[in-house]
Amino acid sequence: MNSQLTVFIVDDDPAVRDALGLLLGVHDYRVALFADGESFIHAFRPEWRGCVLLDIRMPGIDGLSLQKKLGEIGNQLPVIMMTGHGDVASAREAFRALAVDFLEKPLDHERLLAAIGEAFARQSSQLQQAAEVQGNHRLLSKLTPRENEIMERVVAGRHNREIAAELGISPRTVEVHKARMMDKLGVGSVAELVRLQLTGER
Amino acid sequence: MPARLAAALTVATFAALYIALDATSFIAPLYGLNLTPWNPAPALALVYLLRRGPAAPWTVLLTVVVAESLIRGLTTPWWPGLLSTAVLGAGYLGLGQLLARLLPPGGLLDDRRTLFAWSGCIAGGTLLLSLLYLSALQLSGLLPAGAWLDGVRRFWIGDSVGIIVAMPLFWWLSSPRGRELLRQTLGKPETAAYALLSLLLLWLAFADGLHSFRLAYLLFLPIVWASVRQGMAGAIVAASLLQIEIVVTTQILGYSGVTLAEFQMLSLAMALIGFFIGAIVDEQRRTSEELRHSLRLAAAGEMAGALAHELNQPLTALAAYGAACEALLARGESGERLQRALGGLLQEANRAGEVLRRLRDFFRTGATQLESFPLARLVSQAVAACQTRAEREGIVLSVGELPPATLLADRLQLEVVLRNLLANACDALAGVAAGAPRSIRISGELLPGQRLCLLVEDSGPGISPAMAARLFEPFQSDKSSGLGLGLAISRAIVETHGGMLWGEVAGHGRFKIVLPVQEST
Repeated sequence: MNSQLTVFIVDDDPAVRDALGLLLGVHDYRVALFADGESFIHAFRPEWRGCVLLDIRMPGIDGLSLQKKLGEIGNQLPVIMMTGHGDVASAREAFRALAVDFLEKPLDHERLLAAIGEAFARQSSQLQQAAEVQGNHRLLSKLTPRENEIMERVVAGRHNREIAAELGISPRTVEVHKARMMDKLGVGSVAELVRLQLTGER
Repeated sequence: MPARLAAALTVATFAALYIALDATSFIAPLYGLNLTPWNPAPALALVYLLRRGPAAPWTVLLTVVVAESLIRGLTTPWWPGLLSTAVLGAGYLGLGQLLARLLPPGGLLDDRRTLFAWSGCIAGGTLLLSLLYLSALQLSGLLPAGAWLDGVRRFWIGDSVGIIVAMPLFWWLSSPRGRELLRQTLGKPETAAYALLSLLLLWLAFADGLHSFRLAYLLFLPIVWASVRQGMAGAIVAASLLQIEIVVTTQILGYSGVTLAEFQMLSLAMALIGFFIGAIVDEQRRTSEELRHSLRLAAAGEMAGALAHELNQPLTALAAYGAACEALLARGESGERLQRALGGLLQEANRAGEVLRRLRDFFRTGATQLESFPLARLVSQAVAACQTRAEREGIVLSVGELPPATLLADRLQLEVVLRNLLANACDALAGVAAGAPRSIRISGELLPGQRLCLLVEDSGPGISPAMAARLFEPFQSDKSSGLGLGLAISRAIVETHGGMLWGEVAGHGRFKIVLPVQEST
């Protein structure tokens, strides 16, 4: 079920890495191991799917900086933080950078699995959302320039007559364009159109 | 009944001492009355009251009366003398009550605040007492006409000086800790030296045969010496010594009571100056002792933090291996993966044990334990501890020339310092580009003045001038895996050993430790 999703583990301790890799492997997760932040960033591909399990205390780039850096290079993977001593300041920082969870070492493996489950769920919904955005974007790009003009004005709340006056065409023509535009986008109401236009623009 | 016997013995000892002291100090009396320029016996009575000897108030009152009648004889008729002596005894009881609030039984009268309040109480209390006592004498007709003021002055000087100079001695002698400190002080050669000096200066001051104070200021030297070097204990010894010397000398030379009274003022000034210097010295010693203690606590805290982190890693791995085993067994799998998990489990359990052993080692060294050991042993042990890491990271760790010196120090603490420096050097080399040389070198040389300089160098980038300024401040770290206390604590440890630790701005990493050497061959 997790075949496309991978847990990326970044921890400087070889034993911890190995043990977590084994545990998650036993639970049928795909696992990739990294000894430090540099090698993870070096290997990073935007098309990776899954989640990242990060240790805060590491030589070189520490977990929090790595989380920030990943955000900067367009990472979409949800992040789970691990730390030996959970201080409030670093937990706050991690959550501000949208960490899924903040786990204290030694890890409780049920909490770990729950956190990974949540991260994967978040990743799936993100992917779904992204797909939707992409789909809407594609739909919007199919509109002719005239249809586009009309859509913008409909979304802005103008009446057909006003649009006709603005564009110097007859209200009847506006209606025809509008019907074809709504048809192309597959929406049945102005409310749906507004939602689609908002997500598609992003 | 042994308890009652002991009490009776204490009472008898006190009474005998008091009477003996009163008799000895009954010199140059005014009008044959108890008006002498040196009266230390009340100090004994006050200490007895404060220590709550058996039936303290009654014993003191009775002893004062008995001493009076034994030494000065009964007056005729007997009741006016008895009455005024009773006033005197009651006065000491009152003074004792006042002091009881001031002097905690466990205290040693060795801080400035208590000393100040105590001397004020004695001066004020004895003034009041001399007014009362002399008035009582006057009323009972024992004092010649017009002698009241003179009597007050003489009695006040005798009592206040007597008590202020002698009471700290009695107070210390009545406490086990004070006795031990005095015993140690008396056993030192330095004590004999300043005692000799005081005799020499006494001779100088009195040699001219004139009843003058021209050179009396010289007598301040021994007491200042004693109190600066030995604190309150030295001050007490020197003040008591000088008091006896002055009284004996004036008696031998047949000085008048008036001159002795004037010399008593000198004794008072010397004693007070000595006590206050002694108290300051003791306070300072206590403060530096406390500071050392808190530094040691900080070191323990830092070490515990570091070890907690190191303990967390094997525990995390243990828990994960354990959970993996559980899941594998639940699905009946017993192949290579279970083997691996079990192997990891055992290995990590060993690692956790290793961390705990180090923790125990550290707490064993929580208190400084001095031992004598060769420098080479310290260096080789610290190097051995870091060798594995160095090899793993491709670092050449070498030991250069070491002088054949012996150190007297806490070996494990110094090893912590060296290991910390070596670990820092390894960290510094972790950031060096691949292909560049990676090496760490320890070497040492003897410095003049029985000192030794240990040099830890690495081929890393070294420290910048900006870093050098903040390097030893706590919580300054460029590493994520540390609290930034390592160097601060290392420096504290080295300084506790009377040495120095600093980092030099060079093209490469360079740290220096200077330590005192026990012997070099």
